[in-house]
Order: sequence, then structure tokens, then C-alpha cells
Amino acid sequence: MKVGSRILFASVLTAGFLARATPVVAHHSAAAAYDETKRVEAQGTVTKVLVRNPHSWVFLESADDKGQKIEWQIEMGGVPSMAWAKDALPIGAAVKVAGNPSRAPGSHGITGATFTKADGTPVGPRGGRGEYTPR
Amino acid sequence: MRSTIRGSSPKRGFGIVACVALVMAMNGDALPVLKAQSASTAAAVPDLSGVWDGTRRSHPINGPTVPWARTVPEGTILPDGTPADRNYVSNFPVLNERALAFQKIFDEPLSPKYDCQPSTPPALEFDPFNMEVVQWPDRVLLRYEKDDQLRTVWLDGRQPTSRDYGVQGFSVGRYESNALLVETTHYVFDITGFDDYNGIPSSQQKKVTERYWRDGDQLKATVTVEDPMFLRKPTSYTMRWLPAPKGYKLKAFDCDPEAARLSVQFIPPRYK
Repeated sequence: MKVGSRILFASVLTAGFLARATPVVAHHSAAAAYDETKRVEAQGTVTKVLVRNPHSWVFLESADDKGQKIEWQIEMGGVPSMAWAKDALPIGAAVKVAGNPSRAPGSHGITGATFTKADGTPVGPRGGRGEYTPR
Repeated sequence: MRSTIRGSSPKRGFGIVACVALVMAMNGDALPVLKAQSASTAAAVPDLSGVWDGTRRSHPINGPTVPWARTVPEGTILPDGTPADRNYVSNFPVLNERALAFQKIFDEPLSPKYDCQPSTPPALEFDPFNMEVVQWPDRVLLRYEKDDQLRTVWLDGRQPTSRDYGVQGFSVGRYESNALLVETTHYVFDITGFDDYNGIPSSQQKKVTERYWRDGDQLKATVTVEDPMFLRKPTSYTMRWLPAPKGYKLKAFDCDPEAARLSVQFIPPRYK
């Protein structure tokens, strides 16, 4: 998918969607920054992957429903959980992501993310949820 | 011929040494007595050494209800690896009015962790990373992957002075009944020093008592926290570590301030 690809949909579902991923962010209270009762989905092109402690980040370039370019910032686990990302999330890869949306109005953050390819194939371990253990 | 020390008499030299020692003692600079625990108790020293897996393989990931929980559904795996029964007793801290007031005004972006300030007991032990125990005769070293922290537990009888306040406090310990007992005091105030998920602070009066022992191939610990400034009574959890894979070496944490603070932008501002 090229830069500027649009969001297929960025729908927010309600608490009934509780097949959510086990949170992989153990550094802080994710509830302060993300609404764990809601779900957002987006797609875009990987522009940067920061494999860092305490948390790693995946950046997606996408576009809103008006065609304006936006950047999704997806918070992941720390370095031990992200060994898979180097191969599975290369720069320029087109991915879909689903997870808990950030709370601040107008922000584009996601955590508890599941990554898939455009055809729905999981990206990375644990069905696209990443790996938390350091092996 | 009289022997001299650079022209001074031995008597004068001895006097100088004695005076220096006296001044040091008055200033609290006297060297601690360097001694290991006595041989009679050395036989009870358990082998706790090695690298231990503290990830989700060993215990649940920390969160708002882990390891501190008011209720736990029957059958839930507890931090020590055992299933909860129907008689689970809450270990959630009983907060005093001061703690409740702090919780009420707590603002998440204030958390020192967003600037890579390391976590401390009782959270440090439970964070989902590996740790290493090194046992020397006069001390035990607790090395944590999380935040690259090193705690030294002194076994030689030394006690903290008023200059020993620090993020990780000052730890002394002893072996008893095939376990290592650790007492840590002299912490500095930490606005999330009890639990960063519930906004519970800790004070300079925080005292953390840990008991480490072997249970088969597992390492277990009971961590008890007292803090009269914020808690009405002590509270504790028991957790376990599993052996890390053979040959595993701790990895550097290298907390990245940019990555640590990035999520703060997603927290709706509480104060202007």
C-alpha cells in the first residue's frame, strides 16, 4: 500500500468487543492513555519502528476520511517482546491494525494492537499480537 | 636509634591516626564492620543464585489488579503460580486519608516512569523482566533487567546512615530458616512508589521486607510493604520466578526517554 493510503475504516466499537488482546504494555496504566472498552481499526504503511524500552512504537502513515494525511502511533511492548518486528514490519509494509484507541481528543494512538496483512493474515506471533516473553 | 615515621615519633603517628579515626567516627564515616554472616548460620544459606525468569511465563503481568487485588475469581492463577481458591483474602492496600487525597489529585503524566526514573520495590520485583541473584559472603546482589537496576543487600551488619536515602533505599539482610530476609528502608518520596497502576505514593518511611526462598526449581518471594504515611497496615504479595533458559544473560534495558514519554500525548489533560 502506498503512502497516503486511506483508512478502510476507523470504527469505534463498544465494550461488547471484549475479545481484545491481552495488554502487552506493562509499563504503566494503559487505561489513562487508552480506552480499553473501545476498539479502533486502521490501515496504512509502516514508516518507522522504534524497538525500545520501556515501550516500542510502530508508526503508520495513513489518511483520514477526507484524504488528509495522518500518522497512527501504535504502542507495543518493550524490546524483549519485539524481536519479530524487524522481519514482520519492514518499512513500507502495508498493514491493518486493530486495538484500543487513545483517549486524547484528535489523537491517533493505539495499544493492545493486532497486526494483519490486507488479506487478514496475522503479522507476527500470537496471531498478530506480538510476543511479550523475551524469547 | 629511635625509629621514626617521616621524622615523627611512633607515638605521635599513632596519635594522629587515633584522632583521624575519632573524627571519622564522630562524622559517621567509620568503616562498617566487614563481616559475613557467622559460620553457624552459613549452613542455612539457600542457593538462590542464578538468572530468574520474571516474565508472564512465571506470573501474571502487572496491572491494576495484579499483584494487588481486592477480589480474585476462583481458579485465577496468582502471582505465586498457584490457583486462587474461594477464600482469597484481599491484599489491596488499606489507604489512609493522605493516600486517598493523593490518589484523588493524581495526574498520570506526573509519573516519574515517563522520564525513565526506575521503578522500586514493591513494583520492581514484579515487573515482567528477568533478574539475577548473586550471593557473596557479605552481600547479595539483586540485578534487574527492568530499568538496569542493581540492589545490594548487605549481610555484614552495617546499617544505613542519614546519607543513605536513595531511589532504591538501603537494604540489609540475613539468612534464616533456609531463606533470605531483606529489609529495605531509606527510600525517597515517590509519587507512584507503591503502585503505578493505582496512583499510590510511597514516603521516606516506606519499609519493604522481602523473604526469598527456593521451592523446587522455582524462586519465590513474599514482598511486604509498610508505610505509615500512606498505608493503614502492612500488605504483601507472594510471587515466583522460574529458571531462565540455560546460559541466558541479562539484557540492557536502556530506557529511552522519547519512547517512555510518547504515550503521555494520549492522556487527556487533567490540569491546565
